[in-house]
Amino acid sequence: MNRRRFLAGAGLAGITALAGCGSLSTQSTRAPPLVEDRPDATYRPTHVEGMGMAGMAQAGDYMVGLTYSFPHRFWTVTGTTAEKVDIRSEDSLHLMATVWDPETEMVLPVSAGLSITVERDGDPVADKPPWPMVSQNMGFHYGDNYALDGDGVYQVTVRVNGMSERRLGAFSGRFGEAGETTVDFDFRQSTLEQLSFERLPDTQGDRGAVDLMNMDMIPTSQAPEVSALPGTVLGTSKGRDAVYVASWLRDAAFLDDGQSYLAVSVRTPYNRVPLPMMSLDGRVEADGEAVFEDALTATVHPDIGYHYGAVVETDASEPSVGVDVIAPPQVSRHEGYETAFLATPSFSF
Amino acid sequence: MTGRGISRREFAKSAVAIGGTAALAACLDRGSASVPEGTDDPSTLPERQHAWNDALATDDAGNPRMPRHHVLLLLDYAGDGTPIDAHRERVETALRDLERAYEWSTEGLLFTLGYGPAYFERFGSGPAGVDLPEPEALAPFEDPAFDTPDALLHLASDDERVVLEAEEALKGTRETANDREMTASFDGILTESDRRTGFIGAGLPADNQDVEGVPDSEPVPEESPLFMGFKSGFKGNQATEDRVTVASGPFADGTTQHLSKIRLQLQQWYEQDSRDQRVSKMFCPAHAAEDRVEGVGENLGTDSGMDECPEDAVESGRRNGVVGHSQKMVSAREDDSPRILRRDFDSTDGGQAGLHFLSLQGSIADFVATREAMNGTDVAENSAVGQRVNNGILQYMNVERRGNYLVPPRSLRSLPPASPSK
Ligand code: HEM
Repeated sequence: MNRRRFLAGAGLAGITALAGCGSLSTQSTRAPPLVEDRPDATYRPTHVEGMGMAGMAQAGDYMVGLTYSFPHRFWTVTGTTAEKVDIRSEDSLHLMATVWDPETEMVLPVSAGLSITVERDGDPVADKPPWPMVSQNMGFHYGDNYALDGDGVYQVTVRVNGMSERRLGAFSGRFGEAGETTVDFDFRQSTLEQLSFERLPDTQGDRGAVDLMNMDMIPTSQAPEVSALPGTVLGTSKGRDAVYVASWLRDAAFLDDGQSYLAVSVRTPYNRVPLPMMSLDGRVEADGEAVFEDALTATVHPDIGYHYGAVVETDASEPSVGVDVIAPPQVSRHEGYETAFLATPSFSF
Repeated sequence: MTGRGISRREFAKSAVAIGGTAALAACLDRGSASVPEGTDDPSTLPERQHAWNDALATDDAGNPRMPRHHVLLLLDYAGDGTPIDAHRERVETALRDLERAYEWSTEGLLFTLGYGPAYFERFGSGPAGVDLPEPEALAPFEDPAFDTPDALLHLASDDERVVLEAEEALKGTRETANDREMTASFDGILTESDRRTGFIGAGLPADNQDVEGVPDSEPVPEESPLFMGFKSGFKGNQATEDRVTVASGPFADGTTQHLSKIRLQLQQWYEQDSRDQRVSKMFCPAHAAEDRVEGVGENLGTDSGMDECPEDAVESGRRNGVVGHSQKMVSAREDDSPRILRRDFDSTDGGQAGLHFLSLQGSIADFVATREAMNGTDVAENSAVGQRVNNGILQYMNVERRGNYLVPPRSLRSLPPASPSK
C-alpha cells in the first residue's frame, strides 16, 4: 500500500470531524478563500506566513539557503497567463531555495534554474526543479510544495545551474559553472505548525504589499534604490504595475571608448523585488539618430543588480530611449502578485 | 482506496521489466496465440539491421508503430583484445537462429546489435569511415554518466514473451526459441553489464504508472502511448531510414545509435501545468491557443503540424514566454527533414518513470546538433523563457546516462573488425 495515498485519504475523510486538530486540517485553515475582485496589480494577500530555516550551504560559486513554510497555493506563468496551483492534501510544506553571491550578498535569479532532490536514507522522496518565484515577503526565490513522509531527517540536494545571464563588472567570469550541495533537513510537523500564520482581514485585497521579511542568515532580493543606481537615471515609469527604471552609463569599466550602456531595472512596487525572465526590446536615439534597436539582454551587475541591458555605440549624454515589454516576467507568483506584471506595456524615457 | 494489488495480469505486464526465466515461465503460461516463425533464408532479410519500418505495423493514420515491448542489453566481450573467429561464428549462428525462430516483424522479433567506442578500441582504431565518439554531456545543465559497454543489443516485439524468450535464448539459458532449437548462444562470449527494459503503446504507460516520477493521482491517460500523455513518432517528424544510413565505406548500410537514459518527473507536469501549458510545452503555444491537439494527439495525423507553429523559436519564445519541444526541434532539420530517427520508449526500470531515448542517425554529430536545438539555450539567453522553465519539456526530464554505438550492416553485425575488407 502506498503510504502517501493512505494519509491523503484519511486527511480528506476526516476533514470535517477533525477540523482544528493538527495537521489534518492544514488544508482548510491554511488557505483562506481568495480575495474577490482582485485588482490587476500588486495587492495585499489574505495572510502572511512565517518561515523556518531548513539549511544553508555553499554550492560552487553560490550560496544556497533553504527555507520552508506551510504548503500554499501559487501561480505559474506562461506568456500572459497565470495558472493557479492548488495545494494537494499530501503536501507537507512549501520548500524554498534562495541563491546568492556570498561576496556581495546579492540574490541571483538564475534563469537556468536549479534542481532539488529530496531523499531519506537513500530512498527518493521528491525530485523536481522548483519554480522561479516572487513573493511579497520572500522576494525572488525558487519554490514548490513538496510531500514528505512525516517527521525525520531528509537529505536535500540542490544543484544550481551555471548562469546564462550576461555577467558584468565584478561578476564577469563568475557563476558560469553549476554548483551542487546536500543539506540535512530535520523536518518536524510540530515545528512547522509553530510558524506564524497571520490573517489580514482588514487590508486583504487592498493595493499594496506586505513587507519583505528580514532574515538573519539569508539576504533579501531587492533591486537598488533608484538613487543608488550608477550612471544617470533617465526616468522611472510604471507598467501594470511593475516599476521600470532606465539608466544610462557612460563610463563603466566594462565599456570601451565611444560606448554607453542602457540598463532597465524592473522591480515590484513597494518592495523593489527584481522581476527576472522578461523579454524587452529597446530603442535608443541620440542626436536625432537611431543608434540601437534590438532585444535587451538579461544581465547582472554588482551595482545595478539584475536588469535588462545593452551596450550602445554612442557617447551621447542625453539619449532618448524606448522600451517595449514583449513578454512579462515568466516567474511564478505567490498570492498578491498573480494578477500583476502580466501586461506588455511600452515606455519612452 | 485504489490499492493496486499485483494481479496476475499486472505481473505479466511487468514481466519484461523483471526478466529472467521465472518471468518468462509466467508469461509463457499466460500466452496462447502462436508467434509467427521466421525464415531459413537470411538473404530475404534487409542488409540494414535498422530497416524496421517496412516490418512495423502502422497505426490508423499510417504512421509506423513501434513494437510494444523492448529489452536493451549492454554487453561486454568476454575475451581480451580482438574477438576470435570462433566467437564471431557463434554470435552469428545465434542471431540466425533467432531469425529462423521469429518473423522479422512487430508480432515476431526485431532487433539490432551495435558496438560502442570501447569495442573498436580493441582494434586500436575507430570503425573505418564512421566517426564514433565517446559520449559526452550535451547540455550545460546535465551531468550524465557514460555507458561504455562493448555492445548494445536491442530486442523489440509486440509480444512480451518474445523479447523475454529471445533474451534467454541468446544468454544460453534456454534451448529453444519459439519451439525451434537454438544451435548457439552468446554464453561465454558477450556478457551482460546492464539490462534495461521498456514499453510504448496505448495502455502500457497508464498500467505502469505506479512508479517514482508519476504522482499518485494516476494522471497518465489510458490512451497514451507514452508517460507524458502525448503520441510521438509521427511519420512526418522522423528521419527516413535512408537518411540515417551510413552511405559509404565498409560500414555502408549501417547507422549510428545514441542511447540515453532519461528520468522523468511528472508531478508538476500533471498536477500543476494546465492542459494548455502541456500542449504549449510539448508542441507550441499556437497549438494550445488554437486547440489543435485533441487527447493524446491522434488527430494530428502523420505530423505534429509544425508548419503552423512560428518557425523562429527565439522570436516565438520572446513573444510567448514559452517554447514548445517539437517547435524547437525544427531548427535542427536538414532539407526540411529531422536528422534523427527516434525509436525511444518508456521505462519503469528501478521503479522510476523513465524513457530510454534510442535514436538512429547518419552520424553522432546529427544527434548532437539535434540535442543542441532541444537545449534551447539560444531561446533562454535571449528571451523570457528559462533554461528549463517554459523551455519545452526540459523541466520534466533529467538525462542520467548516455552512450554511442555503431549498428553495422547485417553482414557485419557479429563482432566485426574495425576495418572490414568488403
Ligand atoms: C521525455 C522525452 C520526450 C518526449 C515525450 C518527446 C516527445 C515528442 C513529441 C510529442 C514530438 C512531436 C511529434 C512527433 O514525435 O512526431 C517530438 C518531436 C521531436 N523530438 Fe522529442 N520527445 C522527448 C525527448 C526527445 C529527445 C531527448 C530528443 C533528442 C534530442 C528529441 C527529439 C525530437 C525530434 C528530433 C523531434 C522532431 C522534430 C521535427 O519535427 O523536426 N525528443 N518529441
